Amino acid sequence: MSKTLKTLTSAALLLPGLVVHTGQAADPSRANINFQYTRYQEGKRDLLGTRSDLNPIMVDTLHGTGGFLLTDRLRFSFGYTQDTWSGATPIAMTPFASTAGNKEFTRILPTGEVVSGASPYITGIEDFDHNLDPLRQDPIAGRVVDPRSVLVLSTASPETRKQGDFRMGYEWDNAVVNFGGGLSHEKDYKSSYGNINGRFDFNQKLTSLKWGGAYTTSDTSAILDHDTLSYVTPLAYNGQIDFQDRLRILRGNRQDWAANIGLTQVLGKNSLIDANIGYTHSSGFMENPYKATTVIFIDPDTISPNPADSIRGNVRAVLEQRPDYRNQLAISNRFVQHISPLDAALHLNYKFSFDDWGINAHTFESDWIQPLFEGWTLTPRIRYYSQSAADFYQPYLFSNQAFLKTITNSAGETQAITYDPRKLPQDFASDHRLASFGSLSGGISLNKRFARGFELEAGFEYYTRASAFAFGGGNSSFADFDYYVANAALKIGLETLNVNQIGRNRSASGAAHDHAAQHDHTFIPAGIMFGHTLDKAGDIMVGYRFMYARQTGDILRGSHAASDLEIVNQACGDLVLCRFAPDYMNMRMHMLDIMYAPTRWLNLMLMPQFMDMEMNLRPLEGRPSLAPGGHDHPGTPHATGGVADTIMMPLIKLLDRPNHRLHIGLGLSAPTGSVDQEVRRMAKIDGGIIHFDMQLGSGTWDFMPNLTYTGSHSQWYWGGQLYGVKRLENQNESGYRLGDLFQASTWGGYRLTNWLATSVRGVYTSRGSIQGDFNTFNARIGPMDFPHNQGGQFWDLGIGINARVPSGRLVGNHVAFEWLQPLRDDFNGYQLERQGALSATWHYSF
Amino acid sequence: MKRSTFIALLLISFLLTGCVNVAPWERGILAKPHMALDPQPLQSGIRQHNYGSRESAASTNSAGGGGGCGCF
Repeated sequence: MSKTLKTLTSAALLLPGLVVHTGQAADPSRANINFQYTRYQEGKRDLLGTRSDLNPIMVDTLHGTGGFLLTDRLRFSFGYTQDTWSGATPIAMTPFASTAGNKEFTRILPTGEVVSGASPYITGIEDFDHNLDPLRQDPIAGRVVDPRSVLVLSTASPETRKQGDFRMGYEWDNAVVNFGGGLSHEKDYKSSYGNINGRFDFNQKLTSLKWGGAYTTSDTSAILDHDTLSYVTPLAYNGQIDFQDRLRILRGNRQDWAANIGLTQVLGKNSLIDANIGYTHSSGFMENPYKATTVIFIDPDTISPNPADSIRGNVRAVLEQRPDYRNQLAISNRFVQHISPLDAALHLNYKFSFDDWGINAHTFESDWIQPLFEGWTLTPRIRYYSQSAADFYQPYLFSNQAFLKTITNSAGETQAITYDPRKLPQDFASDHRLASFGSLSGGISLNKRFARGFELEAGFEYYTRASAFAFGGGNSSFADFDYYVANAALKIGLETLNVNQIGRNRSASGAAHDHAAQHDHTFIPAGIMFGHTLDKAGDIMVGYRFMYARQTGDILRGSHAASDLEIVNQACGDLVLCRFAPDYMNMRMHMLDIMYAPTRWLNLMLMPQFMDMEMNLRPLEGRPSLAPGGHDHPGTPHATGGVADTIMMPLIKLLDRPNHRLHIGLGLSAPTGSVDQEVRRMAKIDGGIIHFDMQLGSGTWDFMPNLTYTGSHSQWYWGGQLYGVKRLENQNESGYRLGDLFQASTWGGYRLTNWLATSVRGVYTSRGSIQGDFNTFNARIGPMDFPHNQGGQFWDLGIGINARVPSGRLVGNHVAFEWLQPLRDDFNGYQLERQGALSATWHYSF
Repeated sequence: MKRSTFIALLLISFLLTGCVNVAPWERGILAKPHMALDPQPLQSGIRQHNYGSRESAASTNSAGGGGGCGCF
């Protein structure tokens, strides 16, 4: 290569955007939208032979991100995460030999079903020898020392967390600055954060200096567990506990300041290294409000001087106490080497972190990224982690005093004296995350990059935690567990798609023409599903649909408000009196629309859905008093969430004229949403299966025929749709079948400009009541638990706006919103009034 | 391992730099997607979140925040 050519090439490559900065992701397009679904599933905990019916922790996460350039150098990106978790979690550790722990039970539900499981007991008694080793009564050997500890597991009803964040970044030729922030919201924990970070490139971009800073403030407002409330001692937090209705709420605030600095250095044509130091200072309430530490109180007056006699301990649970400050320092190094014969990349990562709680942690990680053929990439990875215990970690501790003592004072009155909290250590916790342990995990991910700039990714990882894996061994084997994580992602690079689109248009017509002009018929109200078709064979559309519906107000019988007394006496059938009614219900749905046209007349759609719901109940006036041994749910909303049903829909074009189009859809809905969501067991009373409306799917295979007509003339457009759902099975696994559905819509709209249009829609819906009933225990406390209080006829008016990007970098993107206002409800039985529904869609066809 | 050892390791990694020269037209391999420091950011995000809710180590990345209580 001549010297001039070399100089020119280097000059050209140094132009912004042409040289991909080494070490930064080579983003194929500068505008993108990504969706990811993740399932986290833990294995059952080892309870040393006790059979527990509690399901282990499971988390379903939906994550969406997007980003685009506002100007050539200014980039805006945003993200949304939603996760719903449920399952059994440890609340304390206890000596296995004690009367506390998980105690097996068998009982008969009101439905006649026999259930067996284990209930958490966090208080009890235990005898020790004079070395304070726990003693167990063995049927054969008599009293033997049994040093084992066991977790006490409690379960939680599903809870949903939502997080939104944004980032704005500006790029110079040799530097980048980003600032961002976000909010994370869950029922008992709210967190907000801001951060700023950047990068300076020098040495001809062979060296980069990175820096960053972040601040997070988080508020805890934890409802102290109703089930264990009377057994856990929150003495240290008395000033932080509020009483609200019948609930006790523990409040706290924590703040985290973080800073990091790092250096990325190219080592040669095939390798680079990255080193970072991070410092985090945290202060405030860092406890986990749901974790207690077992304290064994031994009254010194009761200890016999004879060493052969055992010592009686009073096993109690005290809310954990962590220090109010924490300083953490972490150092990480990553080495990336290209393996030329295989065109693979080897990533080696080592991180060391230590803090003033006494936790030293080492992480070793290695990824092998192997591009295969035709855009496939396979990445196996392995990770090893080891940490030492926090200074204040103890599985359980002893206190040399009585938990509660009665004394007679000088006036001759008896007084109950509780223990002196000052005699306990200042800090103590038995959360197993603070113990000494190691973990080993391995996983694999598979990517497929398609020619038109979108990419599919799937990953799986198995993780196993073991006390014995820690450097030097640990002593918390009772807390060993494992989990797996599976995820799937769809990444869409919008600008890459456009380049291809323009290229294809050019080859088709000889000249680039207005892409948007082809898609006039895509102005369809946001609430209409299956309304779009693609123009040509080979076309693809990707879209996202969000729907929010709210019900609150009166309970209606038919279309008239019913009084509480009427609901009590009539809404729950002839044999049962209602005690509660729904106060409000919110439903949110996220749906991905993926559409492909194998031929000009046939389109195939795949629509996975993700849902979350919450319902709050109110006690009815005039309700009957609680039956003996019965138990009310306190006034906290119930929530469910996760994967819902998946729709597969072929659309067939019947008429395809420039101004008139007609297509038919003959789709199926697969029962991928669960219909066995439960309310947790509390105070030994089973919550049972949760209300019909809170289940995540229909539980049956459903046939979904639909017929859509769209027309346009000049600035006007109009259309109509008939849509039905026919359940193909008699009952789902929970014993019932949702009602069939029929819906008719008609709409008209006007294009205000070439990018904005408005529409009005009228909707009639008829939905049948539920057939069958729950085949397992349901609390039957209100109208929402009875199959005849489902379905009805509904009339709605929709007002919508549609917008599209007509030209420029983001051409071909459409967004639409529609508010559906109920005009009339005619419910079957007694149901909660509807307040309306919002639909929002984004789609991109190419 | 002692803290000083790690600080020394870090310094060595800094000192390794400085003496290389890779011309812009020789950076084709370094620009490949799988040579990026975080080639699969969506997946690594969720993995870090899971590790963070199950382990006590600190992070060197302060760009995050949020993530919730992880109180289970």
